[in-house]
Amino acid sequence: MRRKIGRDIFHRWEGNPIITLEDIPFRCNTVFNGTPVKFGDEYYLLLRIEGQQGYSFFALARSRDGFHFDVEDRPVLLPAKKGIFGIYEARGIEDPRATFIEGSYYIMYTASSGYGPRIALAKTNDFHKFERISLISEPGNKDGVLFPEKINGQYVRLDRPIGLGVGSIWISYSNDLYSWGHSKVLISPRWGYWDSYRVGASAPPIRTERGWLEIYHGVQMTSSGPIYRVGTVLLDLKKPARVIARCNVPLLSPRENYERIGDVNNVVFACGAIVESNGEVKMYYGAADTRLCVATAKMEDIIKWTLNEVREK
Amino acid sequence: MRKKFSYDIVRRWEGNPIITIDDLPFRCIDICNAGAVKVDEEYILLLTIQRLEGHYLIYPARSSDGYHFKVNDQPLLSPSQEEPYLIYEERGVLDARIVLLEDVYYICYDALGRHGYRAGLARTEDFKTVQHIGLISEPDTKGSVLFPGKIKGKYARLGRPWEGRSIWISYSEDLEYWGWSEVVISPRGGFWDSDRIGMATPPMKIDQGWLIIYYGIKQTSAGPLFRLGAVILDAENPTKILGRTNIPILSPREDYERIGDVSNLVFSCGAIIEPDDKVKLYYGAANSCISIGTTRVQDIVQACLESEKEF
Repeated sequence: MRRKIGRDIFHRWEGNPIITLEDIPFRCNTVFNGTPVKFGDEYYLLLRIEGQQGYSFFALARSRDGFHFDVEDRPVLLPAKKGIFGIYEARGIEDPRATFIEGSYYIMYTASSGYGPRIALAKTNDFHKFERISLISEPGNKDGVLFPEKINGQYVRLDRPIGLGVGSIWISYSNDLYSWGHSKVLISPRWGYWDSYRVGASAPPIRTERGWLEIYHGVQMTSSGPIYRVGTVLLDLKKPARVIARCNVPLLSPRENYERIGDVNNVVFACGAIVESNGEVKMYYGAADTRLCVATAKMEDIIKWTLNEVREK
Repeated sequence: MRKKFSYDIVRRWEGNPIITIDDLPFRCIDICNAGAVKVDEEYILLLTIQRLEGHYLIYPARSSDGYHFKVNDQPLLSPSQEEPYLIYEERGVLDARIVLLEDVYYICYDALGRHGYRAGLARTEDFKTVQHIGLISEPDTKGSVLFPGKIKGKYARLGRPWEGRSIWISYSEDLEYWGWSEVVISPRGGFWDSDRIGMATPPMKIDQGWLIIYYGIKQTSAGPLFRLGAVILDAENPTKILGRTNIPILSPREDYERIGDVSNLVFSCGAIIEPDDKVKLYYGAANSCISIGTTRVQDIVQACLESEKEF
């Protein structure tokens, strides 16, 4: 018998996965963790592709409906070979997150090298030409997302440095996008919860009437490895360091074979979402670090769950 | 028979150690390290003391000759009870490093809380009161030091983020917002500093550039060996290394360096260059007492530039 309710608050699209290795017009290892934007009347997905050598780079997929995508023939951004970016991107570029602010798209991504992962920032207007701006974090930091507006005159980012092995989400501020400060912890792992081991920012924050919605990933450690799930927090619009609410339950958990089986088992990992005018949220997520999927939910439901106003019978 | 040369480039004072827990007017677990500064004719050390409950505080000690110190009974810097410092300093403040910059003494220290180590920055004019400036690094960055001068118009600091175990430089226009971070010095496989390295003293301006004394760790089956080495960085481009000692300038050898809460450890947070070019290096030994060693700037410079001749 078919269940009357979905397994998760987010509903998987029946056509998942939306992009797999079969859809990539060149040889590579995996495709996952894409960040979406609505570009004109198209949907763009900036994809993380891991090449067969083992380092990652970005390619672009385009769609009319947000579900059926075509991947362009050539990658759009490769690891830098020269200069300071060449040093810190020596092992690839990973997990892009696109934010539209001040008339351009800003991409926060993870620069990977022997010195450890750190967050880099690039700018584009067309998703084909990218201008690298700066390496903005210290090493040992990833999952950087930029807020889509200045708050109190400052740029704001979330990220995930690791101190004493605790993976918390932190918030930092900047006047110029180059130098950052006044960092503090936003949320930490919760003992006994599904996000007890680590948490990190996933989608760039989305403005809602109830606050900034941050879709994050929470990790639970098991004897056979980590489980990555999707959760949410609401942050104060004017003081984003203030957490208004945090969902007690994950909104999406690995359940389908395409989420459970792959290079990294049991991973659902979002890098962005699009809010449609009717309130539908399309969340794009990497599944098992091997393919790309989409799931949808109504914004009002996401908010209700984040405020922990829904009681399961 | 007495050896004709000293074991190390830094020579130990015969009266070592200079401060032990017997010199303190209160109980504690141990004395770890000391930042050092000479103000007029007075020597001031900022001691990291682990109180009985296990938290770290910073106490001043004063001396007129640089060898005989009197320790204050009150700390200069304690974990702040105020926002935004509260949870980031709840387990202690430690390893103060002092520089004189633009006529103000800046103290860079490690703030230790539930989320790890971060660099804290404070200022003082008299070593009696301090003003907090901020927590200036991301977490698990230890041993930060401010440069005692601006570089190309920006403030600069060195520190050791845990990831990668290397020493990094960061820059700032206002001491509050930091960026433009780059690797400066990394561990060397097969050397005495193969496992990880970190900053010891703040950079000291010398004719050749910035003189930096750092610590290097080699892992053994019985635990780590902490030693001190030196690097000269280019004055204008501090990511450019002009010289680096292949050998340590100080290694644990004496009982007071080998026996203590952390055995086999010499660790410095401050050195003073006297007008005659002599260097007084203050160092924590075995995380249990403070000692002093002396050398000359030119001896360290020579070790940095010609160290490949040593074996």
